[in-house]
Amino acid sequence: MTKLTKASFDQHKAEIQATSKNWIKVGMSTCGIAAGAEEVYKILLEEAKKKNLSIEIKKCGCLGMCYAEPLVEVHVEGVPQVIYGKVNKDIAIKILEKHVGTKMLVNDYIFDLALTMKEVRK
Amino acid sequence: MKKIVKAKINGILIRAEEGTTILDAAKKVQVKIPTLCKHPDLKPSASCGLCIVKVKGSNKMLRACCTPLDEGMDIITHDPEIVDIRRTVLELILSNHPNDCLKCDRNNDCELQKLVADFGIRQSPFTQVLRDLPIDNSTKAVELEPQKCILCGRCVDVCQNRQDVWALSFLERGMQTRISPAGDILLNESPCVKCGQCSAHCPTGAIVEQDDIGKVWEALLDPDKYCVVQIAPAVRASIGEAFGLTGKNMTKQLYALLRRLGFKAVFDTNFAADVTIMEEASEFEERLIKGTKSLPLITSCCPAWVDFMEKFHSDMIEHFSSCKSPHEILGVLSKTYYTQKNGLDPSKITMVSIMPCTAKKYEITRSNEMSASGFQDIDIVLSTRELARMIKQAGIDFLSLPDEEADSMLGEYAGAGVIFGATGGVMEAALRTAYYFVTGTDLGKVEFESVRGLKGIKETEIEVAGKKIRIAIAHGLGNVEIVLDKVREAKKNNQEPPYHFIEVMACPGGCVGGGGQPYMVTDELRLKRAKVLYQDDTDKQIRCSHQNPYIKRLYTEFLEKPLGPKPEKLLHTKYTPRPIYKR
Amino acid sequence: MDKKIVLLKDTSIGAADKTKEYYSLILNLLRDHNLQDSVQVVRVADIGFYDQGLVLKILPEQVIYGRVQESDLLPVITETIQGNKILDRLALKPNEKQLRIVLRNCGQIDPENFDDYIAADGYAALKKVITGYKQEQVIEELKASGLRGRGGAGYPTWMKWNFARQVKAEQKYIVCNGDEGDPGAYMDRSVLEGDPHSVIEGMMIGAYAIGASQGYFYIRAEYPLAVERIQKAIAQAYEYGLLGKNILGTEFSFDVEIRLGAGAFVCGEETALLASIEGKRGTPQPRPPYPSIKGLWGMPTVINNVETLANIPVILLKGGAWFGKTGTEKSKGTKVFALTGKIKNSGLIEVPMGTSIRDIVYNIGGGMLSAKGIKAVQTGGPSGGVIPKEFLDEPVDYENLQKLGSIMGSGGMIVMDEDDCLVDIAKFYLKFCVEESCGKCAPCRIGGYQMLGLLENITNGKGTNSDVAKMKRIAQAMQKASLCGLGQTAANPVLSTIKYFAAEYKEHIEDKKCIAGKCRYLLNYKIISDKCKKCGLCLTNCVFGAITGNREQGYVLDSAKCTKCGRCYEVCKFKAISKG
Repeated sequence: MTKLTKASFDQHKAEIQATSKNWIKVGMSTCGIAAGAEEVYKILLEEAKKKNLSIEIKKCGCLGMCYAEPLVEVHVEGVPQVIYGKVNKDIAIKILEKHVGTKMLVNDYIFDLALTMKEVRK
Repeated sequence: MKKIVKAKINGILIRAEEGTTILDAAKKVQVKIPTLCKHPDLKPSASCGLCIVKVKGSNKMLRACCTPLDEGMDIITHDPEIVDIRRTVLELILSNHPNDCLKCDRNNDCELQKLVADFGIRQSPFTQVLRDLPIDNSTKAVELEPQKCILCGRCVDVCQNRQDVWALSFLERGMQTRISPAGDILLNESPCVKCGQCSAHCPTGAIVEQDDIGKVWEALLDPDKYCVVQIAPAVRASIGEAFGLTGKNMTKQLYALLRRLGFKAVFDTNFAADVTIMEEASEFEERLIKGTKSLPLITSCCPAWVDFMEKFHSDMIEHFSSCKSPHEILGVLSKTYYTQKNGLDPSKITMVSIMPCTAKKYEITRSNEMSASGFQDIDIVLSTRELARMIKQAGIDFLSLPDEEADSMLGEYAGAGVIFGATGGVMEAALRTAYYFVTGTDLGKVEFESVRGLKGIKETEIEVAGKKIRIAIAHGLGNVEIVLDKVREAKKNNQEPPYHFIEVMACPGGCVGGGGQPYMVTDELRLKRAKVLYQDDTDKQIRCSHQNPYIKRLYTEFLEKPLGPKPEKLLHTKYTPRPIYKR
Repeated sequence: MDKKIVLLKDTSIGAADKTKEYYSLILNLLRDHNLQDSVQVVRVADIGFYDQGLVLKILPEQVIYGRVQESDLLPVITETIQGNKILDRLALKPNEKQLRIVLRNCGQIDPENFDDYIAADGYAALKKVITGYKQEQVIEELKASGLRGRGGAGYPTWMKWNFARQVKAEQKYIVCNGDEGDPGAYMDRSVLEGDPHSVIEGMMIGAYAIGASQGYFYIRAEYPLAVERIQKAIAQAYEYGLLGKNILGTEFSFDVEIRLGAGAFVCGEETALLASIEGKRGTPQPRPPYPSIKGLWGMPTVINNVETLANIPVILLKGGAWFGKTGTEKSKGTKVFALTGKIKNSGLIEVPMGTSIRDIVYNIGGGMLSAKGIKAVQTGGPSGGVIPKEFLDEPVDYENLQKLGSIMGSGGMIVMDEDDCLVDIAKFYLKFCVEESCGKCAPCRIGGYQMLGLLENITNGKGTNSDVAKMKRIAQAMQKASLCGLGQTAANPVLSTIKYFAAEYKEHIEDKKCIAGKCRYLLNYKIISDKCKKCGLCLTNCVFGAITGNREQGYVLDSAKCTKCGRCYEVCKFKAISKG
């Protein structure tokens, strides 16, 4: 990577901001990992590959809802972006099949707190 | 010029230089703020919490020891609330300190005990919690009793920052905190050089010299033993303090006292200092003129410095004067020359040294050369503090004793011998004689003012026979490295050595500030003690060691010539690198 | 009609959860209206409202209805879903109690991905500052924001920076204090793990403002993941030219290193932290001189907490005035809390300064974990105090918490219910400080220890009223005569519980009773003969021989022999053993 300068900084930013696609984020801070997020992350990667789904599986930090770890946030075009909590292996597979595959939300695991948090960035 | 700040202490207007602490400023208006951790020699550690004062406009209390006086401050040092808090803190400290004062080394000479008396504490409201920690007497010189430690941090500060030895440190935390060599090893396995500065700065009985008074009493009472004694230069200048007299030369009372205690002969280490000079000045002459060994020559009469050098700077061994320290020389002479002249059996002699030092207790068994007479040359070493206690035990009214003289054979000294006790003194004494050895003429003015005083490192040039002699004097082991590094640097670059002659004393101020001297030493007191020695020198008719008729007689009758085979066998020693940590 | 989604959750407290019943009802109604294919009904685990009966959320319109009754379901479908009309009588305003400034990127971006951070406006503030601001301008912006240190004491950040800026020195340093150690607090860990670049960017802006060219992260070794992520972030920043020489082609150069804390709580104290970085024993030093004037190796050093630094980039990007709009008069911006204890939604929250404790507990925390009532809230960790339930409506800011006898601290907030004994809580915190005292100064080292002994007497049933007086006396000495914040505040948990829960102390001392049932030695176990089924399980489990009897005559417990271990109480299947 060449070092950024005043000029190339903005160019680089514009390039990366242009790319937008479907993704799943797994909360992988200490709280998430302690609750089993590593396993969820692994299964999501494996199953998405197996099912040939076009979705990016990413890591992210703590969302704050530690009582509901492991947390998985899903962004799929045409479906509201939601956070699933207390996700285990089975729910992870269900999220891929239902939410990603058929664009239907999965019952009983949504923690709709995200809507209660105003974020400064948006 | 420093800025002057104006403030009020207990309503009294005060002007002080910027940076003056509230504690020091208060002294100027006759207010004494109590403290257990601040020592005049050291930076404040701010650990005891007793010196708290109020500043108007703040609801916090400040530590007077480390807070500088600020413009416009309005300070209250004593009011019922402050005194009550101090009392609580003192009671807390007491709850963590054994109350066996009666059996303590520091009984009647303890800063904690004195404060407790001042505060009139009659009860102990808090549960006594004592830690079960063993006494460390492994060095045979200083004794560490961590149970009595109040963690003021003076010893750690002096050991690490002034002496650069790093034998002592704090271990663990909370109530488990204690002082100990790092790694929880014994002191004699640590870098400790036995300088005893820790004990001289301790406010309680947590670090004291090893008490050898019992051994001396035993020897004096043994009809088979022939007890002889010597006193070091610095002792005469400080022993009076234990009896309320500062800045007084007690040489002649000491001679009288020691005879009363039962010693058969009373010698003076100053005489042996003259011998040291004869040998060391000859060594210097050899190195300078004949170039037999490389320069600089470094003095070796301080045993803590010798230990420090062997541990940390053993690359300097070739520069060390091989001459023994004066008290060791007197030891070997008393068990050879003295016994032969008087028809005594050297095996019956018990030689006691009264020293301002704790490291001398270690020195007497440092190496095989310390038994050059065929017996251990010095049997027992007492520090100045121990002698003071011994005088009290003997029930002698020390201050009222009549003057007496030393036993002349090993007792008469030149002025050069007595100034050994102050930093720069060995150098000055050596220069007086070296000048004569090199030039064959005596100096007109024997004083070298530039080597005196308390500056940490003193550097000067002196002309001897048209040659400029560069010298350096360091006292306080923390000052040594800078000087030695210059020597190393020159060596590395194949340059001429930066100095020809270096004097080092482990203790700040030299022996007058020794680790075995009376407590609560300050620079002011160090200067006062040194002044006593310089006055003694001035008062002497004979100022140079080589002019001392008894020295001349000693060489004619016994030693023959300096650096000759007999002195080589009896008066010189060897050095060896030693590990900093024994395990 | 677009596809709609209805989220639902029964949020009633103290009644059976009827989410599933409502779910079926709505499904049936949708089928009746032939909407089953265009509307998806989803049961959710948490809908962000508490104690509002059945809550529905209709997407994508974001219409929220609360206290929805069975009879409301039909109108909801016909009028709102089909007719796009909002039923005002049911409508709820969005429950936006949280505001994420510090946590803006936490959980949003991949902390190990540099581009994720750049895409989220990362390093834009740094670029703005180093290419167009004077040092004074940065400090002015910070002054306008009103940001105060988030580490505990709340010292204005701009002043700290300004002191360091004004000192002329060859070298200046900026240090990030990541030695978070309060029990139950993990705000800094989450920020370091979730958004490491923000903290680095904040530090760099600070460095630019004071003229520092070297920074240190001091992070406790117990946070390996935080260390790893900061390490990665630093490496990335070097790679992209955002650390090192001539950053973004400007004159500004800055280097960062990490130092690990070895587990001493006291190293969170500024001067102890600096000693630790220098490789010395981590003990506090007297101040003045303050680190901003004379810090690391005698050079001017600014020490900022992780959360403080994470605020900086946003302030510089959006302006100090923007930041100053949030919060109370003297406490600006937001505060992150680690909300724990007897609460439903324990976790990390961020609220505007001035939010009431009640809002935090009930509208964010989701209320109490069990039916037991709230007793108090502890803030400020071992240096803080307890706030009894009478003050739930008090706003949370620096001054107000202090007025209540607690402190803001770094952001631990522990909710306690009737099962918590406040004497026991005080003992817990004091014990923490006693164990973590560096041992340097006598009032803290010995005072804390003696006070703990007195508290133990009280919880062991050996306390007297004079013990309380003695504790107050020691507390005064600790507050006034301790060298650092740890000792000066260590007595706070004790003092605040004595102040608000004097009756509880009295019960322990005079009645020898612990109502909450926490103080083991004050408990009395008894066998209730009416309930006892004479199974003998208690007898076989009592290893101290305190229970005697047989299957015919039943069992008795000899309280003189009982060690209050509680084993019999635990094993009894018939609740035939009473405790209290």
